[in-house]
Amino acid sequence: MKVPRPFQFKSIHTSIALAFSLLILGTTLILSYNSYRLSKTSVTRNSIEYTTALVEQVRANVGTYVSNMDSISTLALSNGDLQKFLSEPLKTPESDRLAERIGAFFHSIVASRTDIASLLFVGSNGSVISDRTGAAVKDYTDLIGQEWYRQARAASGRIVLSSSHVEHLYPKEYRWVISLSRELAGDRPSDPSGVLLVDLNFNLIDDLCRQIRLGSRGYVFIVDGEGDLIYHPQQQIMFTELKSEDIPLILRSSDRTVAVRGGEPKNYTIRSTGFGWKIVGVTYPQELAGDKRKMQLASAQWGGVCLLVALGLSVLLSFTMTRPLKRLDARMKEVEKGDFDIRVEVTSPNEIGKLARTFNLMIGKIKELMNQRIRDEELKRSSEIKALQAQIRPHFLYNTLDSIIWMAESNKMAEVVQMATALSRLFRSSIGQGEEEVRLAVELEHVENYMKIQSMRYRGRFVYRIDVDPGLRDCRILRLVLQPLVENAIYHGLRSVEETGTIRIAARRDGDALELAVADDGVGMPPEQVRALLSDRRPQENGKGVGVLNVQQRIRLFYGAPYGLQFESEREEGTVARLRIPFRREGGPGSAKPSGPVRAEPSGPAAAAAEARQGGDEA
Amino acid sequence: MSRGRTYALLALAALLAGLLAAAAAHSVRWVRHAWLPPSGPIVYIPKTIDPNIEFWQVARQGVDAAAKELGVPVTVLGTAREKDIDGQIELVESAVGLHPRAIVLAANDYERLVPAARKVKNAGIPLIMVDSGINGRFADSLIATDNFEAGRQVGDALRRLVPAGSRVAVINYIQASANAQERENGVLSSLAEGDIAVEPTLYSDGLDDKAYELTRELLLRRPDLAGIAALNEPTADGAARAIEEAGAQGRVKLVGIDSSTSEIDYLEREVLQVIVVQKPFNMGYLAIKTAERASRGRKVEPLIRTGSAVITKADMYSRENQKLLFPFLSGQGDAGGGPAAGAVLSGEEPGEDRPYAGREAAGG
Repeated sequence: MKVPRPFQFKSIHTSIALAFSLLILGTTLILSYNSYRLSKTSVTRNSIEYTTALVEQVRANVGTYVSNMDSISTLALSNGDLQKFLSEPLKTPESDRLAERIGAFFHSIVASRTDIASLLFVGSNGSVISDRTGAAVKDYTDLIGQEWYRQARAASGRIVLSSSHVEHLYPKEYRWVISLSRELAGDRPSDPSGVLLVDLNFNLIDDLCRQIRLGSRGYVFIVDGEGDLIYHPQQQIMFTELKSEDIPLILRSSDRTVAVRGGEPKNYTIRSTGFGWKIVGVTYPQELAGDKRKMQLASAQWGGVCLLVALGLSVLLSFTMTRPLKRLDARMKEVEKGDFDIRVEVTSPNEIGKLARTFNLMIGKIKELMNQRIRDEELKRSSEIKALQAQIRPHFLYNTLDSIIWMAESNKMAEVVQMATALSRLFRSSIGQGEEEVRLAVELEHVENYMKIQSMRYRGRFVYRIDVDPGLRDCRILRLVLQPLVENAIYHGLRSVEETGTIRIAARRDGDALELAVADDGVGMPPEQVRALLSDRRPQENGKGVGVLNVQQRIRLFYGAPYGLQFESEREEGTVARLRIPFRREGGPGSAKPSGPVRAEPSGPAAAAAEARQGGDEA
Repeated sequence: MSRGRTYALLALAALLAGLLAAAAAHSVRWVRHAWLPPSGPIVYIPKTIDPNIEFWQVARQGVDAAAKELGVPVTVLGTAREKDIDGQIELVESAVGLHPRAIVLAANDYERLVPAARKVKNAGIPLIMVDSGINGRFADSLIATDNFEAGRQVGDALRRLVPAGSRVAVINYIQASANAQERENGVLSSLAEGDIAVEPTLYSDGLDDKAYELTRELLLRRPDLAGIAALNEPTADGAARAIEEAGAQGRVKLVGIDSSTSEIDYLEREVLQVIVVQKPFNMGYLAIKTAERASRGRKVEPLIRTGSAVITKADMYSRENQKLLFPFLSGQGDAGGGPAAGAVLSGEEPGEDRPYAGREAAGG
């Protein structure tokens, strides 16, 4: 039982097509994936560069904004009235007047700018001046306890930026602001001093951060140096901690683009400002999905097209490669059936062409050998026939001469003459020109001479009759086939019979065959003996009886299997030997040459089968 | 056909089939999302749309934030007064007619909203309860403060403020409310752990005037009163006003629940000693997010606790607490114009969704 193996194919065509297809499939997949990956990388890089540029722009704008606020604080602090106010004692009309003027000045600054929420000056002398003249401000002690104040004091003159926080300067007013505070210090510690607070509105920062678009969902947010949120577009949601940003990552990272781990993939593009804030642009790599999908589609499409074309080519190529082989195969099959005249066209000079040429040479050689064999067979056959014919003569000659001698001894000179004449005629008619076939008339003449001789030998023990239509006398017949039959009739049928026997020779046409019958009315033969007559294994009885088998063998050799001898015998009634040969007239079609089994070309299995059939008949 | 060729064809066919299946699965998912998105708005029904109740204003901001973030339209329906239970029942029933993708409801009554909720349930509309639930399992999710825990926080704060053996009072806001009951239970369970006498609970009906009256009477009746627990925003306001008027600030400690601008002012002026704040923004935000999730047929948490925090004057401006006390949006002073009943908020398309907070934050 053969175990099927999955990658063993019966046709080269399939193997080649499959191998090519797999190769091409693999190559296409790798190429498509690579081209997709490369374009994805380049798109990602472009997007990072673009985002970086945008975030840089926000950074510059925020920087400008803060330095503007710094200028405003400088402007406010350098106000002459403020200097004077600080040096004045409190609660004097002069200081009240100055405070009012400073408040009006503050108010004009705040009113002219939408990005400032409030301006407030807290002096070390306990004074509080706000841009809202006359508005209730929280207690002095409360104010100086607030973070912006303490930090500005600690920073002594440098500006301090708070993170976003709730401003609580005025009762019942709480809003989220970013504070810029700065100390106005005297030259000496004892000099009057104070802290100016500028509360920044979110709206400008909001505008700055919102005016750039980072994809459809990207955004910009700002954290300070401690990681507190300055600004976030979803600030309240951030405050509730329902969402969060990876602040530690931002604080750790320098100015670059980093990928955020955990949750939805996103990138932070970080830029630091001079005052400690970090501007962070958030982009979602997923947003390239549109392009990504397009790129995937394009890669897949072109990959698919290439694949189809390549698959088609591979099938075509494998077909073209294997077609000559298949043609060769078909030709070989015809040769197998016995047609040796086949030639394969040699179309290409490649290996298959060489193979075809070799095949043609081989077929030619085989045909030559076949013809050679046919000639040899012919030769062998004819020499066999000759040998068999040769067996007849000496045997008969011996017997006849024996009779002549015997007659001469008995002084039956007339009979001697008669017999010798008959013998001489017999030989004349039988020697011929070395032909195997003769006219039936010649054969009948020959057998008549023979019967004449034999009837003399047996002294009229039998009479003979030849009933052959003169029309059949031109038929061709193998030489010396009737004589052994007559011989057999005499020896086995008539010799032991007391009264005079009759031998009758008749001929008739039976379709394509000529049937000759040699009948006697002698003792007849038992069926075993009839069967034994044509058997090879029959023991030779003094060289007698060889004749019948000899005839059968020669007929078969010359004419082929269907022809030959048949005996019908009845005890005390006689025996009929029937000889069938092909019906052919002298000078008629196909008469020039003997037609027999050798003529049918013994080639290939058909011939072998015919031989086998023949053998079977004989068995 | 040879066996080898059969294998080869089979392999190719399998390959093609695999590719086709992948493509088909992909397109089916895409088609379902592209052509069959859940439609209709999310209907949000708070207890009241009274612009003076800051709790619901802040919750509304959470609702808006989530609506914008998700790109889901939200229809707000609400009664002008929290006590208008019939009005709310009507609104819930009319909301079913809008074929919303989900309904978010803050029930004004634990029992009486049940039939309306059943109708919502029967219509196959996801129901998300926010702040206050109802009796029975009608809601897909409840998003609320753990009111018992908030009550305990009030009780614990009050116990720390008053000396042992003193007397305190609890002013609740509504008797039939499950939330109110849980808060009261929380307060009482905490107070019971100390050596403190507790007055019988009073009910303000959620009105600050009534709370003021009750407190005034209480202060007159019980001059030895050391502390008051006021269990919601108007009640705390009314009580604080009464205490301040009586000049009892400091002597009578007041602990309230929820924050409002006036409560914070009282806290700064030390009329109120402690407030326990809930997280209404989170409630609104999570309610819409949960509703949207439920409308897509996804599994949602049956109970989400948003938490509460204890705030005193000393730590009210701490980095953490100021975020809880002053919503970034409403603190900017534009919380004034409350939305009218039936106002429709349309979320922007998801593709154009912009982060939410900034614009409102900008309004100085």
